[in-house]
Amino acid sequence: MGCGCDGCESMMQPYLDGMLSDEELAEAREHLERCPPCEKRYRFEEHLRHFVRVAADEQMPEELRQRLAGLRSSPPAAQL
Amino acid sequence: MSEAAPNAAETRRIAEAARDRVRFEEEALELSDQVFRVARRLVGSREEAEDLVQDTYARAFRSWRQYQPGTNLRAWLLRILTNLNIDRGRRVQRTPDTQPLEEGDYFLYNKLESSIADENPDEERVIERLSQNSVVDALAEVPHDFRDVIVLVDIGEFSYADAAQILDIPVGTVMSRLHRGRRILKQLLAEKSVIA
Repeated sequence: MGCGCDGCESMMQPYLDGMLSDEELAEAREHLERCPPCEKRYRFEEHLRHFVRVAADEQMPEELRQRLAGLRSSPPAAQL
Repeated sequence: MSEAAPNAAETRRIAEAARDRVRFEEEALELSDQVFRVARRLVGSREEAEDLVQDTYARAFRSWRQYQPGTNLRAWLLRILTNLNIDRGRRVQRTPDTQPLEEGDYFLYNKLESSIADENPDEERVIERLSQNSVVDALAEVPHDFRDVIVLVDIGEFSYADAAQILDIPVGTVMSRLHRGRRILKQLLAEKSVIA
């Protein structure tokens, strides 16, 4: 359950988003150095964001690419 | 001789406009993978996403003169896309305030960790408890006001300012929806991974 400190939990997103003031950031860093459970949860959050980005990725179908190219008003530059 | 000059200028102007248009269309098409990636998670199905992207490009190619060169073209395209999505009658959900109170930011971690037999596992082992499908399913269940922001910022990698402009909401709202949205997403993931 982390270190039982609600402050660290609510600081996590602003910390990772780079939204803390210098003072808050120094305070958060100092705490993380002393608190492996919180540090682990912060690292997990970073991994999770990456995992979500990768998991949500879906390739554009080639057929759609061709349809989009067909919408253009002009011939490709190479033909000009 | 005196009549030839305006014609030459006019010809040059037309040629320049044609070149600008070609350049615009090429640049827009180069971004289509990224536009599709965002569209795919903004709407429920792949077919819907494909239609939306196609309509977006049709409109962008018609309105290309409204784009200001040097500004963020990807954000401009996404602005068209989100407007079209709303025009298509995306059902307006109740405001975020009616959502149930979500769990804290550590909730998912604690839940996953407790499902592992080892004491104090590494965070890499904890994240392995999640499947790709569970992320896709959970994301689809996040109420759309929150999902839009997560998709633009965390998946599309737009800045808060760009996301605010695309969705036509203040930057502060982008940030608060992002933070709440991520917590809702984690809560949904926790529910799914516990069943699995």
